[in-house]
Amino acid sequence: MGLIQRVIEESGIPTISITLSQEIAEKVKPPRAVLPGFPLGHPMGMPFDADGQRTLMKKLLEYVGVIREPGTLVNLSTEAGTDTINTEVTE
Amino acid sequence: MKLKTVKDKFFARLFTRYPWLMRRWARKTEFMESADSPWTPLLKDLKDCRVALVTTGGVHLKTQPPFNMSDSEGDPTFREIPSDVDKEDLTITHDYYDHRDGDADINVILPLDRLAELAEEGFIGSISASAFSFMGHIIGEHVTTLINETSPDVALKLKADGVDVVLLTPT
Repeated sequence: MGLIQRVIEESGIPTISITLSQEIAEKVKPPRAVLPGFPLGHPMGMPFDADGQRTLMKKLLEYVGVIREPGTLVNLSTEAGTDTINTEVTE
Repeated sequence: MKLKTVKDKFFARLFTRYPWLMRRWARKTEFMESADSPWTPLLKDLKDCRVALVTTGGVHLKTQPPFNMSDSEGDPTFREIPSDVDKEDLTITHDYYDHRDGDADINVILPLDRLAELAEEGFIGSISASAFSFMGHIIGEHVTTLINETSPDVALKLKADGVDVVLLTPT
């Protein structure tokens, strides 16, 4: 996923991805990624949780404009309301 | 069912159920590592942006050829899906993750309904004509095809459609 994202970003379109693995994101370094903390196969969360999916999608879109540092990983898997920017990825 | 399919599906369920196994696998597996990231700043307000979805969840129209699950190095091709598709016309071909929840509600993987809602409420400007689906788990020589051929093809199609932002959902 990160490789496809990098190609699209390089072509001149801003991108953001869900990542299900901090380990993979740190290796591949997509331009902008969000770790929601969901299990494999559930990038947008649980089935039929339209509100949860919509909230996550709005956050993703907002982060496209908010993130200023290439390679930033936003960790949403910590407690609600304590979104943290993982600066390790950009170092 | 082929032995490979049975084995792949077994490990997919194991990784979904026990995330620490996934983390261990990711730490020990070699990926194409990069020192830095490409960068294109967003210069528009979201309410004026045309947004596209790209997934690696192996989603495709039932009328399109399924992804090739018999090649152990994966399938680097993609499927173009109209953004206004009837969800009943979609299916998932992918043995490397447990997609039973995605089968029940495709928005878990390709959230086209959610994107349509955001366009309707004016949070974004519009939705791209198409979404694009790959399958993940691509290794070996197929990585070269993915980077040099199929991903640039998708990027060209997105640009031709005037897309401003791309959301990517892996599985």
